[in-house]
Amino acid sequence: MKLEVKKIKKSFGDTEILHGITFEVESGVALGLLGRNGAGKTTTIRILMDVFKANEGEILLDGIAFDRKEHQIGYLPEERGLYPKKTVQEQLIYLAMLRGMKKKEAAENTKRWLKRLEVDQYLNRKLETLSKGNQQKVQLASTLVCDPEIIILDEPFSGLDPVNSQILKDVVKELIQQGKIVIFSSHQMSYVEEFCDNIAIIDHGEIALKGRLQEIKREYGRHLYILNAENYGLSELKSKCEKELAHYMIVQELKKEFLVLKLKEKVSREDLLAAILHTDIVIDVFGNYKPSLNDIFVARVGNDGTEGGTK
Amino acid sequence: MKQFITVLKFELANYIKNKTYMVTTILMAVILGALMFLPRVLDLTGLVGESQGSEVVEESISEAQEEEKQADEEENSQTETYMLFDPDGIVNQELLGQYFPNVTWQNAESEEEIRTAVEQQNALAGFCVTAENQFTYYVFNKSMTSGDTGTFSELLGLIKQLKYCEENDLNFEEVSQVFQFADQVQYEEKILGKDMVSNYFYCYAFVILIFMMIIMYGVMIATSVTTEKSNRSIEVLVTSTSSNSLIFGKVIAGAVAGICQVGIILGAILLSYQINRDAWNGFLDSYLNIPVDVLVTFALFGIGGYLFYAFLYGAVGALVSKTEDINKSSSGLQMIIMIVYFVVLVQLMNVDGIVIKVASFLPFSSYSAMFARVAMGNVQMWEIVTSFVILIVSVVVAGLIGAKIYRMGTLRYGNPVKFSHALKSVLRKE
Repeated sequence: MKLEVKKIKKSFGDTEILHGITFEVESGVALGLLGRNGAGKTTTIRILMDVFKANEGEILLDGIAFDRKEHQIGYLPEERGLYPKKTVQEQLIYLAMLRGMKKKEAAENTKRWLKRLEVDQYLNRKLETLSKGNQQKVQLASTLVCDPEIIILDEPFSGLDPVNSQILKDVVKELIQQGKIVIFSSHQMSYVEEFCDNIAIIDHGEIALKGRLQEIKREYGRHLYILNAENYGLSELKSKCEKELAHYMIVQELKKEFLVLKLKEKVSREDLLAAILHTDIVIDVFGNYKPSLNDIFVARVGNDGTEGGTK
Repeated sequence: MKQFITVLKFELANYIKNKTYMVTTILMAVILGALMFLPRVLDLTGLVGESQGSEVVEESISEAQEEEKQADEEENSQTETYMLFDPDGIVNQELLGQYFPNVTWQNAESEEEIRTAVEQQNALAGFCVTAENQFTYYVFNKSMTSGDTGTFSELLGLIKQLKYCEENDLNFEEVSQVFQFADQVQYEEKILGKDMVSNYFYCYAFVILIFMMIIMYGVMIATSVTTEKSNRSIEVLVTSTSSNSLIFGKVIAGAVAGICQVGIILGAILLSYQINRDAWNGFLDSYLNIPVDVLVTFALFGIGGYLFYAFLYGAVGALVSKTEDINKSSSGLQMIIMIVYFVVLVQLMNVDGIVIKVASFLPFSSYSAMFARVAMGNVQMWEIVTSFVILIVSVVVAGLIGAKIYRMGTLRYGNPVKFSHALKSVLRKE
């Protein structure tokens, strides 16, 4: 299956929030939908969920216009909320039935998912009596109880301790392996890197960057190298590089353990290395820089100092 | 439809599992139903009058008469002091004693003396007779049931009649018999239309009942919607099913719960009254012996009006994020309901007037105005049908607009959205 979001535009009143969002997600390949607060992620998700109607653009599933009512979608919203006074079982069955399941099937799925998420002992407990982490797992169970084909997870790891995070990670990996379409929205970049092969970064209602994460990383790290010296501290090394190697590179960033250097135009890796060897710098570490998703995200959308549009 | 049924069942289960709802319903039905059996276990003849055809009741009648006699004697023994200033000697003292049997009269020397005595509460009241047909009545606090001025006027009238008969050599006994012939007339009343006097009381009670139902359950429905917003479950719900299923399921569940509760309580009262009607000697007929056609009209128009407002309350609930904001946001709606309530209550005395006629066709007010007209006034069948069709169409329109406002409002957090703004916004999109 392939879900394609094409040139989606959305306005609230006179304000256009989305200016033509385009991305695609395939079965078994999770997409990380990223963006700063207010960039338009939630609006995009709500359009996918048919809560809002897009003003322009289309959504296709395997090339055919996507009708949410004909497909099971599991959506875990960022703003968590279930019925605190109801038992876990009651509300999960209710939500599954709202999505078209029969009661018996809903009851079976409820038990199965609660067991998988290791909260089956709370089946008949009121939600409000559970810890925050367990409530979070019940919320995830409510997302998955209808066996969705498409799964949208908005900040699924918030509020979870490392043990529960691991359970959730395993579940998400299983879902991806099962060939589900998974859209994963989070500000915790390490999780996105762990699950998502593809990313789409939304900035001010537009797609700022999208594609395969490895290629993007390679592209971003193409002219970047790391350097550390045995005989200089990082600050001294930075000053030395800026003084003596200014023709070859600029110091892009001072990390905790090394400098990130960016080659100037028409300068090769070998030219830079040779220039370094001509100085008194004793190289401790030198090599290609592999930027993290966080670096890419900050580099791409973190420079203008403004948050995005309106929710 | 399937999802609507799912929401309806879930919401109904919420009411049924609500202890307050269940306890209130059962307790009220049992207590009020049991109250209707009171005349069987307690002697209420003093309140409800003599019952017919029962030996037990006959026995209690004689006891009641005895008690009444004793009460009269006790009452007679408590006399009040009144003052009289009658400079021209118009008032016959003997007749005065007969007309005011429990009063001790003191003659005053001036009008001022009466005024002072009453002000200082040395006398309960006083009369200053200035002519055969003129007097001034002084009293400190006039009670709701005071008939002093009427009695005194009658007394002056009798004195005048006696004087006239004496002056014209007429036999007062004969003349008074002729003039009081109306007392001897016997008649049988056959009401072919409606008895406004006897219908007035239950009509009044039903107008209050439907008003209370709309306000009470309307707020409950709005609270139910707002709670889902405040606990953030709304986002899961609106992404799981259509907003129409949610709002229609919620409102209709609230309506069913309300109707069931009132129906059970009312049913228990009416049924147990019918069982005990003889024991009550028909005492509560004016409230509880309601014709079937009036009950049916009340049910149809009541349910219609109730649903109409329930949808609007549902929409109001979606426009606020916190339950404490509901009252503020629904104040406009409550104002309309209050105005309808007062207009209909006031117009019950003039049930064929133009105001209630117009109100009986407006969906905002027909639920009680048309019911009042059917119970007490002259109304044609075509008027009832037209009004009911208007009400049903309005309920559907209110439902659809309510659903759109609900959809629009569900994911809006922060300051409450004004109902009028939401309505304009929804209509503009149309």
